[in-house]
Amino acid sequence: MKIIDSIKKDFNTMTWVLIPVAIAINVVIGEIVVQLKLPVYLDSIGTVLVAVLCGPWAGALTGTLSNTIWGLLIDPNALPWWPVALFIGFVAGWCARGGLFKSWWKAAITGFLVALTAALVSTPISVYIYGGITASGSSFLTAYLLQTGQSLLPAVLITNNIVEPFDKISTSLLAFAIIQGLSMRFLARFPRSENVQIEGGITRNQIYIAVGVVIVVIALYVLVIAKLISH
Amino acid sequence: MHERLSFYLKRDSLLHSLNPLTKLTLAFGLTFVAFLSPWYWTPQFVVLIIIIPLSILGRIQREYIFTALRLILPATAFLFVMQALFQPIGKTIIFQFWFLHITRESLSFAFANASRIFAMISSFTLFLLTTHPSELMSDLTRRGLPSQFAYVIISTIQIIPQMQSKAQTIIAAQRSRGLETEGSIFKRIGALVPLVGPLVFGSLVEVEERAIAIEARGFTSTRKKTSLREIRDTGFDKTLRSILVLMVLVIIVLKIRAS
Amino acid sequence: MAIVNLKQVTYTYPLTDTPALSKVDLQIKEGEFLAIIGPNGSGKSTLCYTLAGFIPHFFKGELEGSVEVAEVETKSSTLNEWVMNVGLVFQNPFNQISGAKYSVFEEIAFGLENLGVPREEINPRVEQALIMTGIDDLAERSPYSLSGGQQQRVALTSILVMQPKVLVLDEPTSQLDPIGTREVFGVIRSLAERGITVVMVEHKVEWVAQFADRVVALYEGQVLMDGKPREVLTSDQLVGKGFGISRYTSTAREAARRGLWPKKSELPVTLDEAITGFKK
Repeated sequence: MKIIDSIKKDFNTMTWVLIPVAIAINVVIGEIVVQLKLPVYLDSIGTVLVAVLCGPWAGALTGTLSNTIWGLLIDPNALPWWPVALFIGFVAGWCARGGLFKSWWKAAITGFLVALTAALVSTPISVYIYGGITASGSSFLTAYLLQTGQSLLPAVLITNNIVEPFDKISTSLLAFAIIQGLSMRFLARFPRSENVQIEGGITRNQIYIAVGVVIVVIALYVLVIAKLISH
Repeated sequence: MHERLSFYLKRDSLLHSLNPLTKLTLAFGLTFVAFLSPWYWTPQFVVLIIIIPLSILGRIQREYIFTALRLILPATAFLFVMQALFQPIGKTIIFQFWFLHITRESLSFAFANASRIFAMISSFTLFLLTTHPSELMSDLTRRGLPSQFAYVIISTIQIIPQMQSKAQTIIAAQRSRGLETEGSIFKRIGALVPLVGPLVFGSLVEVEERAIAIEARGFTSTRKKTSLREIRDTGFDKTLRSILVLMVLVIIVLKIRAS
Repeated sequence: MAIVNLKQVTYTYPLTDTPALSKVDLQIKEGEFLAIIGPNGSGKSTLCYTLAGFIPHFFKGELEGSVEVAEVETKSSTLNEWVMNVGLVFQNPFNQISGAKYSVFEEIAFGLENLGVPREEINPRVEQALIMTGIDDLAERSPYSLSGGQQQRVALTSILVMQPKVLVLDEPTSQLDPIGTREVFGVIRSLAERGITVVMVEHKVEWVAQFADRVVALYEGQVLMDGKPREVLTSDQLVGKGFGISRYTSTAREAARRGLWPKKSELPVTLDEAITGFKK
């Protein structure tokens, strides 16, 4: 059966070893971001890595497990959102299989599509568990933003419509930058390395600079909007 | 933000000697009951009349209460406040601040919601305090969970603390080289890459060798795997699980009839 | 009786042009302790991976020639079956911990569980292996709490417990401190004395000279020399090619050129031999 074969292909030994490392990356970068008090999550970079290198099924599994383990052992408020994490991995994986991770801007598009999916999937969860409060979303989101010094209502408004795409596009770009920094010899070990045959080579430093520039531009945009709203 | 990564406490108790799947079923069962039962005071009942006595039975009452007060209560209290303020239901306004208001209905809803979440987290805490991960994985593998899953889950649980301390080392090292992690948002964003880079690359290159190492230990062997540990599954366990499933079904029926 | 038989083995990694191994012929007898030396890039690790079956099954690429262990050819086997005959231990002790187990005892049992060994057999085999490598006092500890040397011994034990016919070690002590190195060498030596077939890549030639039965020198993917330790390690063929020659050998060679070393004697490899030689 085609689907079962497609699922099986995602998983070789490298996949199984990568997944725990990817989940740990999710957790640790998610925590660094809190320590740096940045208005993003960046807690799905590992999931996207697995999705791109191994496939959508592996990505979905990584997201789910990542969320479950985080929820059980770090912050239970994360638990109800496991379908969101699942779809992040799933959609990123399919985008990559469709060739949408072979260059900068394609990876950014992937990030945007993932963000849309995340917003879509989190709505019913928001409705059922938290009673459909579109304003507050979840305490998770609000807690982060309060930490970055935003005032409550504007913070919540900005969140749902800007931070998600911002977060997921940054995640995608960072994942792209990471993959760029790995040798093709290493990447060839993973089941779907064809997803990352890069078109045109760029040096690692250039990528870091470009990622920084994109993030700064988006940050400026967000801050401008925030200032406008609070007046 | 993170507490220690494994909740398990080794004690000699009735709960500890139960089969891990039974305890997991218990956690899910209590959660479903708390969420689906039509009676308003169910979550409180579950926590006070079921969970706390069970924690005494499991000799972990002190740790449970501690976790409940330090972790669960603040998390759910926050949720309670958010819900009370933002739920747009009800007309009887009790409290008004600026444009935010709390109605009697939203208060009631928020309380119910928060209680349910409290009950859910409590029942899983009970589970985590009395079940060792490797025990659970051995049992699930015996019942058909592919062994690769057991590997992934336990590996993840053990690797996360390793990576967390690696991250702290890298942060300290980069700071001592002049990296600024406080100040303007731009500085903080700029700090992200020098921190994330070494951590991620260091961990990823190890993946190949680790894959070779587990292959050398027969990880992909197609033979039927055996298990060193033997996890007991008594008649009592099986009965208890059946009762729990039945209980949930009854609650579902009650809920359907009540609506 | 040759338990390992390599004939005209040539291997090129994927995405590269130059072969990592070139027409290598090698036979290893059962119970032999073979040491492999060579400069960086000479194909030592490649040879280890080939012996252990990871080439061609894990690394893909082109493998020509024949690789036989216990009369089974690698191409007609799978990696699963191969790892039961050939065990592999490599440099980094940390990466060899599975992460799936909470105690050393269980960690060692992991391989046996995967191979479907019945539970009643696992316990005694693990206990025996622990004693054989001298780490029975570590049985209840978490693998992550151990020192590098201890972890490496755990890795070694985890492979030994699977009772492979050939044990391949790729620079097992290069990431260890002197204490760890001594611990691991001690274990390897006792294993060799028990008659286990050992193939070890190693830089510390003084040690190799004392304990190996045979030394193979690899250079640029080919077998440069193959013979008794004394002959190979003191040979002039190794000079100037990047081999890590014993400093005692180089010193004595220099001395011989200046007429300070008795002409008829062989060059020394270890300190003791050097002392003896210089006394004359």
